[in-house]
Amino acid sequence: MLMCKDLAAIASDYIDGELPVLQNMSVKMHLMMCRHCRTFIGNLRASTDLLQAHSSGQQNEELIRRIDERVAKALKEGPRNPTNRDP
Amino acid sequence: MTDSSRNNEAQLIQGMKAGENQSFQEAVRAYTPGMLAVARFYLDHSSAEEVVQDCWVKVIEAIRNFEGRSGLKTWLHRIVANGCKNRLRSANREVPTDFSESLEPELANRFNAKGRWDLPPKLQFHDSADTLMENGALSDCLDKHLSALPETQRSALILYEAHQHKSDDICNILDVSASNLRVLLHRARQKIFLMVETFQETGEC
Repeated sequence: MLMCKDLAAIASDYIDGELPVLQNMSVKMHLMMCRHCRTFIGNLRASTDLLQAHSSGQQNEELIRRIDERVAKALKEGPRNPTNRDP
Repeated sequence: MTDSSRNNEAQLIQGMKAGENQSFQEAVRAYTPGMLAVARFYLDHSSAEEVVQDCWVKVIEAIRNFEGRSGLKTWLHRIVANGCKNRLRSANREVPTDFSESLEPELANRFNAKGRWDLPPKLQFHDSADTLMENGALSDCLDKHLSALPETQRSALILYEAHQHKSDDICNILDVSASNLRVLLHRARQKIFLMVETFQETGEC
């Protein structure tokens, strides 16, 4: 029988729909009987949504500026020759 | 991907193939954060930035052979991953990762010997993600905890949640098995869950 701790260990797989059918069914059965696990799954899912809503990876302006400079320089100097380019 | 974003991407690729600086600037701004997340899986901060910079210079030529079999984002992430792997190979190093436990110790301690909850979650997170994110303090706290995650977990999480890559692509880019990716994601999500729970209960980060 699936215990709360077992369920917690596979909770992300359940949320992402990655569990095999039988295991998925036993999670569903457990959730019907256990309000703590229902809260846990709901909260883990909410945390996941939060990450998607969060504008992660704030722009690293200094790095972007350095890349822009290098790319602009390479475009000017590079071996690219527009007249020889494929159509 | 919507039709309009697909069209935008096609235009961007066309501009890059034509060597237009403006298209590159646009692409650099759009794709560098994700590329950095990939590189940080493999390398320390400054090496990761170096690899990403070098990749953009390589892309100037390589984009001409880009045939669009994958999306631009996935293609760029693969180039970065290869750049990182080459660097690791030449330094004869491997990425240290721990895939052994899928439960965070802090969460595992909340169950009794029979595997039932000893300290169950007390509160339900009622607010929607967007409402929660309007709370600046929570957003800052999330940033702080994301930065504190082990690199491997953070990269997997960012690629999966923020950049919405498919699992297969992430396994390919980060060179991890599907089951190891699941462990990385689950460990990272549990840490974020524990952080939000503490924040909601105490108002502290």
